[in-house]
Amino acid sequence: MYDLKEREDTAQSVPRRTRLVARRRRQLYPFFFHMGPVALCITSVLLIGLMAVLYLSQVSQAVSANQQLQAINAQQAAQKRQNQDLVNIIAQEQSPAYIAAGAHKLGLVPAGPDSVQVLVVKHLLPFTNNEQGFQP
Amino acid sequence: MSAELQRARNRQMIVFLLVCTAMLILLGRLYYWQVVRSSYLSQLANDEHIQSQVVNAPRGYIYDIQGHVLATNVVRDDVYIAPIQFATDYTGDNAQTELALLCSKLHQVLPQLSQDRLKQLFDSHQASVRIAGPIEPTQSQQLRALQLPDTFLEPRTLRVYPDGDLASQVLGYVQEDQGGVYGIEQKYNTLLAGKPGSLTAETDLMGNPLTVGVSSQQQAVPGANLTLTIDSNIQYLVQSELTAAVKNLKAQSGTVVILNARTGAVVAMAGAPSFDPNNYGAASDQKGCLGTEDVYFNPALFCAYEPGSIMKSVTMAAALDQGLITPNTSFYDPGYLNFTDGTPTVTNWANEGYGTETMTQVLEHSANVGAAYVAHNILQANRFYPYLQRFGFGKSTGLEDPEAAGTYRDPLSANWTPSDLTRQSFGQSILVTPLQMAMAYQTIANDGVMMQPYLVASVNNNGHITTTQPQVKRRVISASAAELLKGMLVSAANFNKQATFPGYSVAVKTGTATTQGISDDQTVASMAGFLPASNPQYVVLVKLDRPQATIFGGTAAGPLWKTIAQQLMWHYNVTPDQ
Repeated sequence: MYDLKEREDTAQSVPRRTRLVARRRRQLYPFFFHMGPVALCITSVLLIGLMAVLYLSQVSQAVSANQQLQAINAQQAAQKRQNQDLVNIIAQEQSPAYIAAGAHKLGLVPAGPDSVQVLVVKHLLPFTNNEQGFQP
Repeated sequence: MSAELQRARNRQMIVFLLVCTAMLILLGRLYYWQVVRSSYLSQLANDEHIQSQVVNAPRGYIYDIQGHVLATNVVRDDVYIAPIQFATDYTGDNAQTELALLCSKLHQVLPQLSQDRLKQLFDSHQASVRIAGPIEPTQSQQLRALQLPDTFLEPRTLRVYPDGDLASQVLGYVQEDQGGVYGIEQKYNTLLAGKPGSLTAETDLMGNPLTVGVSSQQQAVPGANLTLTIDSNIQYLVQSELTAAVKNLKAQSGTVVILNARTGAVVAMAGAPSFDPNNYGAASDQKGCLGTEDVYFNPALFCAYEPGSIMKSVTMAAALDQGLITPNTSFYDPGYLNFTDGTPTVTNWANEGYGTETMTQVLEHSANVGAAYVAHNILQANRFYPYLQRFGFGKSTGLEDPEAAGTYRDPLSANWTPSDLTRQSFGQSILVTPLQMAMAYQTIANDGVMMQPYLVASVNNNGHITTTQPQVKRRVISASAAELLKGMLVSAANFNKQATFPGYSVAVKTGTATTQGISDDQTVASMAGFLPASNPQYVVLVKLDRPQATIFGGTAAGPLWKTIAQQLMWHYNVTPDQ
């Protein structure tokens, strides 16, 4: 992540620059910035903290999404269940037995061969399938 | 080096070696757990937080031809309690109070369980006990709202039949562990059941799958939806009228089959007694088909019987097709017929003689002598049995599986005698199913062409729709022979007037079958025919087993046949032909 630069070539000849070089030896250059150890430490901690915050944020979003997904799944299951119940209820209420019972309650009686009078009109030609609809 | 220093160095060396040894041991253990036992430990860890679930495929619906739902699915809850968990959660003095309160609340929602019974169940020291189920949706809502401790609801998918016993013997039912049982549910079980999927995922503490982490899913393939050729309205009419007829005539059982005369599609197929597939266990002790079969079997397919006089149409068909008789061919009928080859004498019902009679009159009088004369003296075995085979007797129709095939003796069978031939000509010494008999009449109605009977009109397999096309099985008799026979059957119907009604011409034959060894008043009364005779649309067969109020085909089965036939014409707006 960073370089530790050393300048040993000038340390032998100029004593005053030795101190300078020695001071420079401890300077660090992460990302091309001059940075002392304390600053580097603080920066590292900040970076790690930032990454942790970002990571936790992502994780919390994932957990939240997971909870939402579970809630939607539960809702979907409940609605599927309700839909199946409705299909069943509709089928029950459309069943011939249910309709016959309703008709019976209304006082209707089934039409049988004995209770129906059929009027036979002599010489009336039967309809063909193409003539079922009324045509003026 | 001083001795003191040497000892110190030795001590250092020993300590160093001990540390090295300890490190080596630790490294060894590390290698053992991390490398040698790695897969096992990984498996244990995965088992803790990765779960595989089977995703059940929803079973396909069954519809009638009008799109009305005959079989569907609902989800209902079972109620479980956790006695051990309850004992852990509640200890000390308040445990009994809490138990009494819990049992009281459960009893309010599930009144069929007494509080004492609930306390017994909580004292059972089991991890979980199913106390009720499947419960009604309102009960599920109440229990959810109460949020009772250590009480759980487990959803379960159930197969339901909204019409109750309507077409139950056609549909069959579903058992949770076995799948479809009987009928359509059994025959098409693989199609209806679909293919279960699976879900493998990391789960939370509650077992819910997480979106993060490793997961794999294989989608379940829903079962196919079936559309039957059955019409619920006609099926209901047939079933209710049949049940009433069985009750009024004090019959043991009965069967009705209605076919589309042109396509072979089954419009209705009913048996009495019947059962409710929503509660099939309640009918486990009921028997149909003269007490020989469980009520779950479809009697139209399983209940083989001696058909009696409705078989005479088949005998006539064979002779007409070979040009050996015409409707006006006549012979003398003194009421009995003796044979020179040792065949026992055949007599008419009540030994009644009809003098000189035509073949049409043989059908009008339902004369056994006439049928035996045609079979024995005109057709003979070599020209009679091929027609039994071509009409499909002795072989299952293939409508459902399993299905009774029926049986008869022919000259190749052991113990066959010419007596079998004469008796088979008027419907004795031969076992047929009601469907086989109905198919014989369908053949006559359809100008001599037998169609393949079918119950499933279409299959919708997740969008891939397969529609059943009517299939010709074979030509059995010529169109001219079928036309002549139709005329004879119309004459028989008009002669007896038991099945005729204004507006439509009908072609029918009655049957009153007696069984050897049983009193003659214990009959199987039947009527088979089709209408409108000029352009046949529907074939109707009615069969009543051992009616007591009246024992004859014309008087017992006739009124029911007529009611059904008239309702059919009205329901489908069939153009009157008279």
